Amino acid sequence: MKGYAGKLLRVNLSNGKISKEEISDSMKRDFLGGRGFAVKLLWDEVRHADPLSEKNKLIFATGPLTGQSIPSSGKMVIASKSPLTGGYGDGNIGTMASVYLKKAGYDVVVVEGKSEKPCYLLIEDENVRIVEAFELWGKNTFEAQDLLEKKHGKNSGILLTGPAGENLIGFSTVMSQRGRAGGRPGMGAVMGSKRLKAIVIKGTGSIVNFDENKLQEMGKKGYAEIKGKSNYDFWMKQGTMQAFDWANENACLPTYNYREGVFELSKEMDGYVVEKLHAGRKGCPLCNMQCGHIIRDSSGQEAELDYENVGMLGPNIGLGNLPKVALLNRMADEWGLDTISLGSCIGFIMEASERGLIAEKIKWGDFEAAQKLIIEIGKGEGLGKLFSHGVKVAAETIGKGSQKWAMQVKGLEISAYNCHACPGMALAFGTSPIGAHHKEAWIIAWEIANDRFSYNKPKVEKLIEFQRIRGGFFESATVCRLPWVEVSFGVDWYPEYLEAITGERKSWEDIYRLGDRIYNLIRAFWIREVPSFGRKWDYPPDRWFEETQSGGKMKGIKVDREKYEQMLSWYYELRGWDQKGIPLKETLEGLGLRGVSQEMIGQVG
Amino acid sequence: MAEIRFFGYLADIVGARAKEVKLEKPVALREILPPSFPEKNIIILINQKAGRLDSLIQNQDQVALMPVLSGG
Repeated sequence: MKGYAGKLLRVNLSNGKISKEEISDSMKRDFLGGRGFAVKLLWDEVRHADPLSEKNKLIFATGPLTGQSIPSSGKMVIASKSPLTGGYGDGNIGTMASVYLKKAGYDVVVVEGKSEKPCYLLIEDENVRIVEAFELWGKNTFEAQDLLEKKHGKNSGILLTGPAGENLIGFSTVMSQRGRAGGRPGMGAVMGSKRLKAIVIKGTGSIVNFDENKLQEMGKKGYAEIKGKSNYDFWMKQGTMQAFDWANENACLPTYNYREGVFELSKEMDGYVVEKLHAGRKGCPLCNMQCGHIIRDSSGQEAELDYENVGMLGPNIGLGNLPKVALLNRMADEWGLDTISLGSCIGFIMEASERGLIAEKIKWGDFEAAQKLIIEIGKGEGLGKLFSHGVKVAAETIGKGSQKWAMQVKGLEISAYNCHACPGMALAFGTSPIGAHHKEAWIIAWEIANDRFSYNKPKVEKLIEFQRIRGGFFESATVCRLPWVEVSFGVDWYPEYLEAITGERKSWEDIYRLGDRIYNLIRAFWIREVPSFGRKWDYPPDRWFEETQSGGKMKGIKVDREKYEQMLSWYYELRGWDQKGIPLKETLEGLGLRGVSQEMIGQVG
Repeated sequence: MAEIRFFGYLADIVGARAKEVKLEKPVALREILPPSFPEKNIIILINQKAGRLDSLIQNQDQVALMPVLSGG
């Protein structure tokens, strides 16, 4: 099939073996690329492995849309069995490494085993080498990026783990280009466990598409349509930070460890403040609506901001100063720590201190303490050791009811939306297949626009539709969803692009089926790998059921537990799962996953 | 007076983040918005409840008009 590089590169760091495999057309048709390829490979090849052992595998996967001359296509998916959650984990990242990987002739890299010594992988078209990396080990992601660029040239795509990944911190990410991050559920720690500091990719080839002329023409039209959108200029001024006062107005800004949804200092740090402090913009390759906004942090250095990291390292820890938040964000990027999980850990620590559950006295908004905590968490030392595997594990250790306000689902910390008064979004976090993450089904705006207080089946149906498109199609295609979701670029462009690239027409019905296949396989992976997995793993934290915000427009509102259960039951029914959340045999087999169904005899519903 | 607040690019379209409008009688929301105001992909909240461009607005109402964001 056209549009793919066609090869999978397999590297075993235990024995140094490097091999190249053809990717079958059936794999391309059934799983498309990116997340689809990743979960298929993990299902087939990683069984009951300790995530930080040599038996685990780390997948870097592109899709047919990756690196093409179409809007925002510089993406890849990084996936593995997660050391943070124990289940399927992945994340996407926008980086030149995605583009160069396909140009070098590979759609996918599978890293196996564990190197005895620190190393990095050098891919230069067909030449692939494992190189010693003593001089890089211990360097932060900015320093290591600089050293590798100096050695291999700026025309290299570079993926890195930071010191946090080397120290096996559960929510360490993979970083690129001084601020691009991906792989929230500990993909950086899996790299660290394999003593793989970096992957450097140089590619000079080209991809053969089915109809290159048509693709080029449609690509140009797509870029032009995006620029002509009525909200494009505003997007370029504020990017995702336009969500800040939006979330505050709707009482869903994560504030004081999600106790509140409205922050009294929001005007000090919203999108209009970003506009005033603007010092530049950063983004991914092949994108004409870059989302990274740069300001000078409180030490005068450049730092890249977006809504999620400002929400979690700002109001969620009670810090209302944007340059200070920017400094914390830059530190997290240097260490290779996920900013969402980090902000959740620091917020939890501040609340635990206020309640007297830990000995350390750390007040809300304590900037100096937050900096110290980032270093301790990155090293896994001091108080940071307790939080090196996120708030779930920390709360289980502390006990005393703290699990109720450990803001996570499936072990992954919740992204920056407080859901006391957004039951549909609470369900979206509950059913997100990697743990609580916003990329799968961001239904919050839809439910506020319609009826945020309702618990009905159409809301659940809409949630599944979002999951199919966002978590199924975009993560597998593999291309950024922001043109569609942020500036209303027509989603119907994408099947057209796919046809020009691969030569195969996919209807939306086909695409939804693809998404369902991927979601069911991810679900099966969780069930196989996590013995206690079941319905309770789809619950958001008790804080949203049992407490209410103390002020603001949503004062007194909380999620109704009984009605949440009803929505979850509808979700299972619509997915073709039993009421424990286990896929039915006919569901799996109807999606062409007969082998999965047979392997799970005794477990499937 | 009815208070109307505008979020995101909608504020740029009307040239203000907030307006107060004195109404002699209830009027449809669309009548007090500029003709160029978008009709799709917007959130209309009238006193915190979902509304429409045809909803009637009267003095004391609090209206918030927002884009349907995606959350990144």
